[in-house]
Amino acid sequence: MKIKLKIKRSAPLNESEPFFQAFSIDAYEGMTVLEALLKIADEDDPTLSFRKSCRSAICGSCAMTINGHARLACNTQILPEIHKFGEVILEPLSNHAVLKDLMVDLAPFWEKMERVMPYLTPPDAENTAKMTSEDEAKIDKSQQCIMCGSCNSECNALEIDEHYAGPAALAKAWRFIGDTREGFAEKRLDKLSTEHGMWDCVRCGHCTQYCPKNVAPLKAIELLRSRAIKLGITDNHGAKHALSMTNSIKRVGRLDEAAMTFKTLGFLRSLGMIPFGIKMELHGKMPLPLILPQIDGMDEVKAIFKTFEEKDKNKEDSGGKS
Amino acid sequence: MGCKCSTTKDILFFQGGFLVTHDVIIIGGGIAGMRSAIECAKAGLNTAIVSKVYPVRSHSVAAQGGINAALKSTDSWSAHMADTVKGSDFLADQDATEVLCKEAAFDITELEKMGAIWSRDENGNVAQRPFGGAGYPRTCYLADRTGHGIVHVLYEQIIKHGVFIYDEWHVVKLAVLDNAARGIIAVELKTGRLHRLRSKAIILATGGYGRVFKTTTNALTSTGDGMALALSAGANLMDMEFVQFHPTVLPRTGILITEGARGEGGYLLNSKGERFMEKYAPKAKELASRDVVSRAEQAEISEGRGVDGCVLLDVRHLGAEKINQRLSQIRELSINFAGIDPVEKPIPVRPGAHYSMGGVMAGIDGQTNITGLYAAGESACISVHGANRLGGNSLLEAVVFGRRAGQATEAFVKSTTLGDFPDGFLSEASFELAGILKREPSEPAYIIRNEMTVAMEEHAGLFRNKTGLEKGLEKIKELKERFKKAGLTDKADGFNSELLAFLELGNMLDVSETILLGALARNESRGAHSRTDFPQRDDVNWLRHTLIRNQSGELHLDYKNVVITKIKPAERKY
Amino acid sequence: MVNLKYAYYPGCASKEITKEADKATRLVCEALGIELVDMPKANCCGAGLLTDYDYELSLALNARIFAEAETMSLDILTICSTCLMVMSSANRDMKNSESELNLANNALSSAGLHYSGKGKLTHLLWVLAKDYGLEKLSKKVVKPLTWLKVAPFYGCHSLRPSDALGMDDPQKPWTLDAVIKALGAQPVEYKGKTKCCGFQIDLVAEDTAVKMTGKRLIEAKTRGADCLVTPCPFCHINLDNYQGLAEKKAGQKIGLPVFHLAQLVGLALGLSAEDMSLTRHLVSAEGIVR
Repeated sequence: MKIKLKIKRSAPLNESEPFFQAFSIDAYEGMTVLEALLKIADEDDPTLSFRKSCRSAICGSCAMTINGHARLACNTQILPEIHKFGEVILEPLSNHAVLKDLMVDLAPFWEKMERVMPYLTPPDAENTAKMTSEDEAKIDKSQQCIMCGSCNSECNALEIDEHYAGPAALAKAWRFIGDTREGFAEKRLDKLSTEHGMWDCVRCGHCTQYCPKNVAPLKAIELLRSRAIKLGITDNHGAKHALSMTNSIKRVGRLDEAAMTFKTLGFLRSLGMIPFGIKMELHGKMPLPLILPQIDGMDEVKAIFKTFEEKDKNKEDSGGKS
Repeated sequence: MGCKCSTTKDILFFQGGFLVTHDVIIIGGGIAGMRSAIECAKAGLNTAIVSKVYPVRSHSVAAQGGINAALKSTDSWSAHMADTVKGSDFLADQDATEVLCKEAAFDITELEKMGAIWSRDENGNVAQRPFGGAGYPRTCYLADRTGHGIVHVLYEQIIKHGVFIYDEWHVVKLAVLDNAARGIIAVELKTGRLHRLRSKAIILATGGYGRVFKTTTNALTSTGDGMALALSAGANLMDMEFVQFHPTVLPRTGILITEGARGEGGYLLNSKGERFMEKYAPKAKELASRDVVSRAEQAEISEGRGVDGCVLLDVRHLGAEKINQRLSQIRELSINFAGIDPVEKPIPVRPGAHYSMGGVMAGIDGQTNITGLYAAGESACISVHGANRLGGNSLLEAVVFGRRAGQATEAFVKSTTLGDFPDGFLSEASFELAGILKREPSEPAYIIRNEMTVAMEEHAGLFRNKTGLEKGLEKIKELKERFKKAGLTDKADGFNSELLAFLELGNMLDVSETILLGALARNESRGAHSRTDFPQRDDVNWLRHTLIRNQSGELHLDYKNVVITKIKPAERKY
Repeated sequence: MVNLKYAYYPGCASKEITKEADKATRLVCEALGIELVDMPKANCCGAGLLTDYDYELSLALNARIFAEAETMSLDILTICSTCLMVMSSANRDMKNSESELNLANNALSSAGLHYSGKGKLTHLLWVLAKDYGLEKLSKKVVKPLTWLKVAPFYGCHSLRPSDALGMDDPQKPWTLDAVIKALGAQPVEYKGKTKCCGFQIDLVAEDTAVKMTGKRLIEAKTRGADCLVTPCPFCHINLDNYQGLAEKKAGQKIGLPVFHLAQLVGLALGLSAEDMSLTRHLVSAEGIVR
């Protein structure tokens, strides 16, 4: 079947404006985007640049934007794309500077990795501690990352804030913080709780949706956050936000927005919100904490909370790590 | 675009590159390369990895099934060694094999200390699965992505120890003067510039050359670069005729389906639904050594009991849970690349080029015949695999001998002064590159590449004979002549992928010639080298290693005795 | 056709700060004959923040919501994408794993409750696009919004993670576009329609959040939109309430009215701007509502 592949071309160092170029190829059943690219580079245009290596979805080289979202060229088949979108449009990964054609500069990606200290630091240098299958299961997903950059390309927080740690590095951070042999989890979490860190995730879910290896970075971020809260690393807006929500549910079963703003930002910052608040009040939008009714059956909610508080207490008493 | 400058000006451009000095330069960032880098960096050496891909992209990452080590009290390194030597069809050097098997357990523990994760048994110990040619279940694994697990833990460690990474740099020349390594010339792919990197020692860890064959499990980057570089620098290549064809490879794409699938209990079936391996290897069946299983499959297919040029790998009886737990990547690969869910249907598989037993001749510390040049991993031939490698021994070789090469380099670097790096190397490399960029191509290089892969598969594949090998050699020589006149459409400097592919093709043609030369001379069948005109193993004449050396442009064959210490050659049966 | 009847879960935002969405939903459903039954006991889903605090606690509290619907023998309908995502994710985990369902039930048993794991959850958007049906919806339209170019703002939580949500296609979403068309208006195509509004970090990294809000609005405006419509009250809070901040940050006037899904439907069904409480919005829709 003859199909058209539209590829976004960019000259090195952006010497000229990027443009779309269409290539016509014979697509066969099972043909992957990478196979098509290789054929084009051989037969149609040897100047076409893209990264590739294992062609079996494990080396992470060939991530690119395929019909709007980051995917691996090697395990994305042409015909289903044609069937769904009527065309195949290839662009470089987003959120990264383009070097040439489908190649982006991954230097910031590797730097983000390096910044989370991507290696195990056991308390004793000999690292004699053993792991069980259950211990490993907790970090199994995050250690399956192939560092293809798809998640960072899709990440909406990174789209706006280039200094944000990003889902790939945060998933990698969980691989160590969640490792029972790690000796400096608390220090790591302290560092991740600062600006541009793990609390800056907007929970857009792109990372988890488009990860080709099911690493679920968002889940890793949630695990990091829970661990930080359990370790008492709560002196930051993110943790306070989560805690005030939890307390609000515990108290009245539902969200108490005014109280949340207040608790998360602290008194002085919430004063700064006042002009904005006045405008909201005019439209009847300012939440009024005094008249917030609680839900029916609060005793049930409280009983559920109690079982978890007892669980946590038992863990502490037995000296076990959470 | 078009060529924009004269040759002289090109040379000036290339020479704009810089000169940096390191204690040791490691070419290749896979398992062997990174493992040796860690050793060097830990010892305080100024260590650099130069690789045409970022380290985690290296082909080691695709290794699936596992890594062998005798860990249990009911197993022993000597049993592991005996299996390995038998698997090698007695061509492995037994002193080297002894090192490999003795130090295996140590290196598994070292990896674990670095943070490696393994699949575990119910007692929390590192789990071990049965693998082909092994008399004991001694293959440690991380599901079916063991290579990925090891590559990433080593990557973590090179970051920790501050190894300098020149990623997306392609080495075009080893600078060797007075039979001593002085450094390298490499092209920085981003800019197209040539740079000089100077060092006291070089470790070659560039992996294999699977891409010289049409059907291969290897990454697109496995083009035998290190072997070709070493050959042209005057190093010996050893046992190049021994190419492993893996028995379970997906058709068309060549994507590997791990031996672990059979290790976990998978069957091989022919079109009649028979477990045909019962016939060829009554005891080991599917878990005979790879050369035996691949030939059996080819025999079934040739005799008309294949299914569309394949046999069937059936894991359905293992059940979805075990498949998801132990063979999840295999399931994903089968679905994505063959359109088959192994939980429901058997996977069509056939043999495909997988691994190079041969490589740069190296001792048990990685030393080559050039002072200061070391080699480790698949690009080296220390000869632990002989004529056929056992599954689970390649990752092991890469970590054991990667570490040892690093340690030996440390000792060497600390006792050596930095040698000269004459200008001639750079101008020579510049001139060659400028020539490639300047000439009007008579034909595009990919045509030559395609003809090469077809010729190699046809003439130097699973079964070989004199006539075919001669034809193959003739063809490669013809292609080499055409290659000299071929050239590039892309004349750009930055990210010129066509230039990289061209340089890789040059390396592959050199490597192909050595494979054919070795195979044509070896008038016997041993391990993976199967001559239909000489079907028997001939220990009297051929219990020896093939050496190939480049002497002023001509390839010369030589031979070397096999080191036999504990195990006498005997008939090989599975 | 079967009468559509749901256990109604408006979500905390629409009980208070965006109560215009709740009001519009009730009126629209009444007009369409979709029956909504209140869930007086339903607790907050946790909006993801509870998951950050403790995943298992979040699982149990979400199970409690499903357990209430189960006693009513009804599927749940929400008008909040975040509630949809959080509850669906918890439900997926309990469906996929017996141990997680047991975990939730162990906690529920302390409150004398039980959840079968078989509950279903939907969104007003999905009901309109599928269960009620687009054709039937367009027949109910008395005032086709033919003059309006509407930018659909799907946001994140009605699309991702698709393995928990299941209805729309995150790569090629269609439900909101289709509803806009059924109302006689013209949907505007723009990349930001499946992206984040910034709400989750309003109180954590305000600068990033406000820039994000602005980027979505400016893109929609550049592509010719007269207004936006969103199935999520949290997206509405950022796109409408924060629009002023976004304008300040971006240094340009945007002035795009933002509708809750039910409001846009209501207007097309002939309900009044007053019924739809449009004056509660910070960005006035006066110029575009006829």
